[in-house]
Amino acid sequence: MSRFPEVALAGALIAFGFATAAQAGDAAAGEKVFNRCKACHAVGEGAKNRVGPELNDLIGRTAGTAEGYKYSPAMQKAGDGGLVWNAETLATYLANPRAMVKGTKMAFAGLKDQDDLDNIIAYLETFSKAGGSDTAPQPDENKSEAVPAEPAPAETGQAEPAAPQAAQAEPTKPAEQATQPAAEATARDGDGAGEHFHIGRAATAAEVAAWDIDVRPDGVGLPEGHGTAAQGEKIFDENCASCHGDFGEAVDRWPVLAGGQGTLKDDRPVKTVGSYWPYLSTVYDYIRRAMPFGNARSLSDDDVYALTAYVLYLNDIVTDEDFELSKANFTSIKMPNQANFIADDRFQEPEYAANRGNPCMKDCAEGKAKITMHAEVLDVTPQDEGDDKKPSSGIE
Amino acid sequence: MDGSGDQPLSIARRRFLRAGLTGGAALAGSLAAGRAAAADDPAITEIQDWNRYSGDGVDAHPYGMPSKFEAEVIRRNVPWLTADPISSVNFTPLHALDGIITPNGLCFERHHGGAAVIDPAEHRLMVNGLVDKPLVFTMDDLKRFPRHNKIYFLECAANTGMEWRGSQLNGCQFTHGMVHCVMYTGVLLKDILNEAGIKPAGKWVLAEGADAAAMTRSIPMEKALDDCMVAFAMNGEALRVEQGYPIRLVVPGFEGNMWVKWLRRLEVGDEPWEQREETSKYTDLLANGKARHFTWTMEVKSVITSPSPQAPIKHGKGPLVLAGLAWSGNGTITRVDVTTDGGRNWKTARIDGPSLPFALHRFYYEMDWDGSEMFLQSRAMDEKGYVQPTKQALRAVRGSNSIYHNNGIQTWYVNKDGAAENVEIS
Repeated sequence: MSRFPEVALAGALIAFGFATAAQAGDAAAGEKVFNRCKACHAVGEGAKNRVGPELNDLIGRTAGTAEGYKYSPAMQKAGDGGLVWNAETLATYLANPRAMVKGTKMAFAGLKDQDDLDNIIAYLETFSKAGGSDTAPQPDENKSEAVPAEPAPAETGQAEPAAPQAAQAEPTKPAEQATQPAAEATARDGDGAGEHFHIGRAATAAEVAAWDIDVRPDGVGLPEGHGTAAQGEKIFDENCASCHGDFGEAVDRWPVLAGGQGTLKDDRPVKTVGSYWPYLSTVYDYIRRAMPFGNARSLSDDDVYALTAYVLYLNDIVTDEDFELSKANFTSIKMPNQANFIADDRFQEPEYAANRGNPCMKDCAEGKAKITMHAEVLDVTPQDEGDDKKPSSGIE
Repeated sequence: MDGSGDQPLSIARRRFLRAGLTGGAALAGSLAAGRAAAADDPAITEIQDWNRYSGDGVDAHPYGMPSKFEAEVIRRNVPWLTADPISSVNFTPLHALDGIITPNGLCFERHHGGAAVIDPAEHRLMVNGLVDKPLVFTMDDLKRFPRHNKIYFLECAANTGMEWRGSQLNGCQFTHGMVHCVMYTGVLLKDILNEAGIKPAGKWVLAEGADAAAMTRSIPMEKALDDCMVAFAMNGEALRVEQGYPIRLVVPGFEGNMWVKWLRRLEVGDEPWEQREETSKYTDLLANGKARHFTWTMEVKSVITSPSPQAPIKHGKGPLVLAGLAWSGNGTITRVDVTTDGGRNWKTARIDGPSLPFALHRFYYEMDWDGSEMFLQSRAMDEKGYVQPTKQALRAVRGSNSIYHNNGIQTWYVNKDGAAENVEIS
């Protein structure tokens, strides 16, 4: 697929970011950017290695040396070659990880916005004893008033300096609830109190609109908007590929989104959007309410249309990258596996019918019991096992 | 203690210590077997520190915690089960608990976007959709509805899900620990919905959480108006953060995923919403490629909690108490049978404590262990007459890719040393 829109858009973002930029290297703003990293990285007190290494004392750390983390050979080599993380090296790496360290395990596509880069580095500096300012100069290409990057250590706790984010009304994020429209709500009086207890008050139209974002298979709840698979690919690369893989094949145990068609009767079925999900509306609804993981409600309605179109494209349900999904054509898309969902008939199953109310009590089986299988994982203790153990069946 | 018992017991002990599952009691326990005269016990003949020196004052622990000697009795997770601990599960230590009530801090957790921390003063519950008047309630509002106290189990549909393909995890905590049972205090969902006025076309209720997953499930109206609750307390105190503070939905007998935590919205509609957690997840794939949809009821189930792999027999032969739990989403448990020979012969166990619909039931079977190996199983029967099936019988009709709703009979193999292991038998 064409890559050119990415370049154009990245340019646009930089221009935009520049125009509306708060301040270079704002740790509090960086905390928000870090939401995009949180699915894999931990930082702060007690941070542990997860999908990616923990990031305390990152500034001044030699690449590939976080204790106990299994790095890619590429990253180890970079560290052996003298790569040390500071504001400059991090900025380069985070802008395009795979360009700087070819073969890195980090699947993140990169931060295209210079402000995001500055802010996240400022944020990470607050968790580093070395401090960013003296180990490395601020990258200053489009910041004339390069602030002396004083790390603001206390900021990270309270964050959110009353940013006016009410417009999108995102009550799913608890941290923001304090600034929610709810405050305005308490003042109004309950003219619509119910018929029995007269408790509660009428919900306003804006309040209902802010929370009622669910979408049904019949299209009820779809917002206005549209987006193409090609547009979706770019959004996917930046926001989704770090967990779901470049082609929806998934990293580690994150959900696989594409492929698996025809495997549902196999010993190891691959359940993806294309092979399993009965309704397309679920894709739209779920991306809009809960994705990207750790940064929910950050995508526009058009973004979600584009991503949904791209997931269809990854699954060969549409084959033209210029396919545009919109409110108008949404319900015309049928998912291939819809007919295979059936009603709950468990209680009619033979294993219940056979025994019902009258199980055998004496001489119910012949011979002595024989072990046919031992537990695969013998010592399930808190401190044991590395990444190499994989269960035969996991939790979804 | 006789000489022949010495060797195997110490082997067993080393194994327990290696597994990190024993406290200091193991040693004392193994030596105290039998009634033979022992040397003077220093636990008695020497004056202990706690007997001589004063303990902590009443200002030391404003919120009490268990004895430090219970430090192993905690929820545990299995890191490789899921991609990330934020969207994952941990397990109730069933092997170390008794009675039917789970302590609040030990109730297993399952989140899809981490545990949301919500200021109750800023929490709202909205009712919208096919209602006469969309409403908003504050926490104070909710506490003005008539309150109810009910003891219910909550079981994740995926409890025992790892065992579909055969024995996997060696511990009752891990095979069966996605269940807990507490007393909820809250108000009836029916009262809240009626307050807004359900329109005749309203057949479903969408429950939505305020967490970062904005968890949603479609609840059939019949159930919503029957016995569902909006709970704000568990075991007498406010819900724990990880259990949905300040409010959660309670859907008795139905799979845990429907008990939406951090509940913020109820929408009435004429069709189900087919949300992610009721289509791509929490649907049961059968061997023929079909998938069951809306499998809400938790089927009749039981497990012996002790002895079990994490709770081996340490006292040698003689009197032994088999302890276990049974529950059913169809109501009460009417009977539990146990076997020590892998299902050849069964005896009926004693249900002790309250027998409440949709609650855990505690059963015991007191026996005299002759020190020979055992294949322990339990089999529960509920008030509708359903009998807990074997895992083989389940697999025969469902295959092994169902993930959810595995209520098959669990086998623990107990060897002559009293160590227990998760096995499957023929």
